[in-house]
Amino acid sequence: MKSREQEYKEIFIAEALEYFDALNRLISELEKRPQDDKVLAEIFRMLHNLKANAKAIGYLQISDVSHKLETAFGLIRNKELSFSDEVVGVLFDGIDLLGELIKNIDSEQQIEPDPILIRNLDIIVDSLSDSTVELAKVQKFSSSRNLTLSDLIYIQVKKLDHLMNLVGELIIDRDRILSLSRELDNDELKMVSSHLYRITEDLQYSVMDARLVSIGTLFNKFPRVVRDIATAEKKEVDLELSGQDIQIDRNILQIMTDSLLHLVRNAITHGLEKPEQRSKAGKPKVGQLELSARSDRESVVISLTDDGKGIDLNQVRKAAVAQQLVPADVADGLPDTEVFSFLFEPGFSLAKEVTEYSGRGVGLDVVKNAIDSIGGRIRIDSKKGKGTTFTLQLPTSIAVKGALLFEIDSIFYAIPLIHTDLVVALDKDELHEVGDVLVADIKGETVTVVYLDELLNIPESAMRLGDKTKLKGQVQNIIIVSYNNRKLGLIVDKLYRQQDIVVKPLSKPLDSIDIYGGVTLLGTGKVCLVLDVPAITKYFISRR
Amino acid sequence: MKEKAKKKDEQAVPQLNENGVDRAQESTETSVAEATAKPETTKEEMIHLIVFKLGSEEYGIKIEQVKEVTVTPSVTRMPRTPDFIKGVANIRGDIIAIMNLEERFGIRPAPVSDDFNPNITYTLVIEAREYSIGVIVREVPQSLNLSMTKIDKTPSFLQDINIHENYIEGIAKVNNRLIIVLDMYKILTQDEIRALHNN
Repeated sequence: MKSREQEYKEIFIAEALEYFDALNRLISELEKRPQDDKVLAEIFRMLHNLKANAKAIGYLQISDVSHKLETAFGLIRNKELSFSDEVVGVLFDGIDLLGELIKNIDSEQQIEPDPILIRNLDIIVDSLSDSTVELAKVQKFSSSRNLTLSDLIYIQVKKLDHLMNLVGELIIDRDRILSLSRELDNDELKMVSSHLYRITEDLQYSVMDARLVSIGTLFNKFPRVVRDIATAEKKEVDLELSGQDIQIDRNILQIMTDSLLHLVRNAITHGLEKPEQRSKAGKPKVGQLELSARSDRESVVISLTDDGKGIDLNQVRKAAVAQQLVPADVADGLPDTEVFSFLFEPGFSLAKEVTEYSGRGVGLDVVKNAIDSIGGRIRIDSKKGKGTTFTLQLPTSIAVKGALLFEIDSIFYAIPLIHTDLVVALDKDELHEVGDVLVADIKGETVTVVYLDELLNIPESAMRLGDKTKLKGQVQNIIIVSYNNRKLGLIVDKLYRQQDIVVKPLSKPLDSIDIYGGVTLLGTGKVCLVLDVPAITKYFISRR
Repeated sequence: MKEKAKKKDEQAVPQLNENGVDRAQESTETSVAEATAKPETTKEEMIHLIVFKLGSEEYGIKIEQVKEVTVTPSVTRMPRTPDFIKGVANIRGDIIAIMNLEERFGIRPAPVSDDFNPNITYTLVIEAREYSIGVIVREVPQSLNLSMTKIDKTPSFLQDINIHENYIEGIAKVNNRLIIVLDMYKILTQDEIRALHNN
C-alpha cells in the first residue's frame, strides 16, 4: 500500500504535467494571437493554481517560477508589458523550466534553475518597459524533447459504477459456481472455483478501492461554510476537523454532502448560542463545533458535535403530542432515545412550542431519508444546555453488504448487518402479550417483538401481532434491529449465517414496494429477499 | 427437481419451435394464396405474434415484445405484493417479477384437462420499455405469422368495455380463431404502479 503522502505527490505531478502541457499549448496560441484575452486569462489561472498547489505540497522552486511567470503574464494582461519577441522567448524558457522541475521531482539529483533564466524573468517583471537592460542568452533546456504521457488518468464515476455493478454480478455467479462445485464433488472444479473465488475477491476490493476518496475532500469545504454561516448569524464558531484521511465510497460521500451541510447549518443557527448568551451561561464565548470521522469495522462513523444549548426533551414531547404523533400519556413514559426519534418525523418542528427553537428539526427527515437510502444509521445524543451530537454510521461501500440470512415460511430473507444490533434465542414463555403486541426483556430493556411470518404473510385484516399462539415451537430466534433510535425484535423461523451479499435493486414495477431493499441470489441460485429495516419498522408501526 | 426442470425446458423449446414453424408456414401459405389472388398487394405487411391462452380465450403479443419463452422457473413469493404478482424469479441472472394475467384481468381459469401437468407452466418474458416481466401461461405458447389486415384495430365493442381496453391493441381473426392482441407496453400503467405502491 502506498502512503498517503506518496499518493498526493503522484496526483500533484500528474496535475502539474497536465498544466504544463496546457500552458505550452496556450502560449503557442498566444504567440499567434497576442490580443486574445481569453487565452491570457487561462494561462494566468493555470499558473496561479500551479503556484498554489506546489506551495501547499512544499515544492518551493516550482511555486517560485510559477509566481514569476504569473506576474509576467499579469503585466501582459494589464498591458504593462508587451508580448514582444524577446519577452516571448523568456516566457517559453520559463515554461520549459517549469516542466523540467516537475519532471524531476521524483529523480535523485535536484536540478537547479538556470540563474540567467531566473534573472531574465526578473528583468521582464521588474524593469517593465525599461529596455536598457539586456536580456542574457539562455542555454536551451530541452532541444531534444521527450514526449511523455501522464501516469494518472481521470475517470468518470459512472464508469466505476458500471464496473462495480459488473463485479456484483460476477460475485453472484461465483458463489453459484462454488456451491455447484461442492455439490458435484469434482476436485478439479473445486480447485478452479476456489481460485476464481480469490480472484473475484481481489477484483472486488480493487474496484471498491478505486472508488474510495478521503473524507477530507468534503470536510475541507466546511471551514469556509462555517465561517459564512457564523458571520451571517453573528456567532463565533471554532470548527475542529478530524479524521480527514478516512476513506469512503465516493457516491456515499456525494449523497451525504447535502445532509452534512444541513446538520452543520442547523448546529450553528439553532444549536450554538450567541456570544452574549454563552457568556451568561458560563460558557466560553466561542462556540465549539467538531466534525470528525473514524472507521468502525466495515463502516465509517461521522459525528458532528456542538456545545450549544442542546435539545429540550420535554419540548419535543409536547410538540409530538401537539402534532398528534403520540398520545400524551404515552409520551411521558417514552425513553429519551425514542423521543429524539420524533425529530426525524416529516414536518416535525418545535416551532409551535417556542420560537427560540424554531426550525430545530426541520428538514431532519430529509437527512434521515438520505441516510436510509444508502443503508446507514443516524443517532442523536443531546443534553439540555450542554450540546448535541449527531452520529452518522455509513457503509464504506454501496454494493456489497454484510447481512444476516434467515428463513420465514420457506422463503429466504436477509437483513443488512448495519441495522442489526443483536441476535437472541428466547423461550416462548419469555415473550409477553402486552396490549396488541409482544414484548420481551432483552438485556434489561423492554423491546417490542414481532413475528415476521404474521407481519408478512397473514392478510392484513386477520393480522394478530399480539397473539403468542401464532408462534411455532418453543424457542424463538429473534433478530434485534434498530431504526430511528427504536429497537424492534423480529422473530424468524430459521436463522442462518452471516454473509456478504450483493444487493440488486428490484426492477420495475416492484421497485415501488418499499419493504424490500432489493434482492440477492444465493449460491444455490435461490432468490433471497432483502428486507428494508426502516420500511419494515414503519409498516409494523402502521399495523400496530 | 432442478434436473427435471432442465430437461423439460429442453423439451419445451423444440416443441415450441415445431409448433411455431407449423403455424408460421400455415398462415404464411394462406397469405401467399391471398397475395396471388390480389397481385397488387404483394408487399403485404405481416405481423408475428406469440399466441397463448388465458382462461379459454386466445391472446397474442407481438414477437418484438417477447424476449423469451421458458418453463416457469422456481418463483419466490414476495409477501405484501398484489395477488397477481406471483413473486420473483431468477431468469438467466436477471431477477424479474412474475405475474398472472388471469388474476390481473379477472379472467376465469379454464378447467384443466387430464393430459396437462398442472405443475408445469410456461413463462413469457416480456420486454417492456424500462423493465422485463414474466407472464405465466398454462399451455405452450405458439408462434403465428399473419397479415396486418387480419387485425381489426378498432372493433366497435371496445367502446362498450371500459376497463383494460388500454391493453387491447386489436382483434385478430384467423381461420375461425379469435385472438385478442395485447399491447404489453401498456400492461402496467402509472395508475397500476401507484396501486402496487398502496398495497
